[in-house]
Amino acid sequence: MTYTPKKCGVKFKPPAIILIYEDEKTKKIRQRSMPVRNFSKFSDCSRAAEELKNNPRHKPFLGGVSLQQLQKLYQLLRNSLSGLSLDRSLEIIHKENTIDSEEDLNKLDDKELDQKKKIMDELFEKNRKKSDDPDFVYDVEVDFAQVEPIESCGWDDEETNEDF
Amino acid sequence: MAGESRRLPELNQDKYDTDEQVKIICLGDSAVGKSKLMERFLVDGYRPQQLSTYALTLYKHSTTLNDKTVLVDFWDTAGQERFQSMHPSYYHKAHACIMVFDVQRKVTYKNLSSWYQELREYRPTIPCVVVANKIDADQKITQKSFNFAKKQGLPFYFVSAADGTNVVKLFRDTIRLAVSYKENSSDFMDEVMRELENFALEAKGDGPEQNPETTTETTDPDTTV
Repeated sequence: MTYTPKKCGVKFKPPAIILIYEDEKTKKIRQRSMPVRNFSKFSDCSRAAEELKNNPRHKPFLGGVSLQQLQKLYQLLRNSLSGLSLDRSLEIIHKENTIDSEEDLNKLDDKELDQKKKIMDELFEKNRKKSDDPDFVYDVEVDFAQVEPIESCGWDDEETNEDF
Repeated sequence: MAGESRRLPELNQDKYDTDEQVKIICLGDSAVGKSKLMERFLVDGYRPQQLSTYALTLYKHSTTLNDKTVLVDFWDTAGQERFQSMHPSYYHKAHACIMVFDVQRKVTYKNLSSWYQELREYRPTIPCVVVANKIDADQKITQKSFNFAKKQGLPFYFVSAADGTNVVKLFRDTIRLAVSYKENSSDFMDEVMRELENFALEAKGDGPEQNPETTTETTDPDTTV
């Protein structure tokens, strides 16, 4: 039995995670509703996501759905239970899942910092050349000769007005 | 000295005075990729030593430079940078510094100046290099100018811990700088400390069994000066 997920979302009333998937055998598109129970505005979203993914009844269907996505759906549900509007809720989740160039990550707590590192790690892993890759080269030297006129990074601007 | 080693028992830093040992420290904000750079350079090297009590990770590396063996200890922070300040022992006896920022995050570049300031309070003249990491995210960034390094007269590297660009070069250059700094140390504070240590040793060597009050009276005036 193989199921290919097409879409996964959340329904607030009554609370449920909804999965639209294709049954590879019959080639039919089907919808599965997984009711959310014992979940409040104080619940832990990553734990809830893990529990759902490992639930024996749902597990075969959720293999292709990432834990991050499920976690995000639970966050939306939790924010809705706390009375936040959907727009505001999406905005908060977007902020948590992206990197703001100006945000000082030194100020985050361990959990928040780990979350940001996880986001950055995705790009790192994507561009990573591992030592066991067949085309791995240990010493990669590139001379980035800069061609005039050189554009500023834009981050020095404030300083140029100061006498340093 | 004694106080230092009592506070950090795993970290007897006296070894950094021996000829073949150098200490290189990493500085920079959280999540700029300091540890990933270390790991990329040392690919199959020794496993790092985690000293969680001190929020510190030590990476050991040995290499040969001008036919001489050099033992390098790389000091990397393990969260200590979150306080935007490092314990003075982190800087103690360091011979070079690698200062890293993330080209994707402006704030990590802006914070370089405070890291640099702190470094210079403790180590006024050790070589320091500036590293722009994560250029794999956007190669165009390498055509832009980052004036901090130029303004401070420091070497500057565009690198990527992910694809390895210039990582090995960066570390080899820094080791070379550390060794040459050590050989021709012009660091005034270093000189002062060495003088003080020699002075203390000589004083001790002159009369180990005598108490200090009588020493001044009984020793030959030539050796006390």
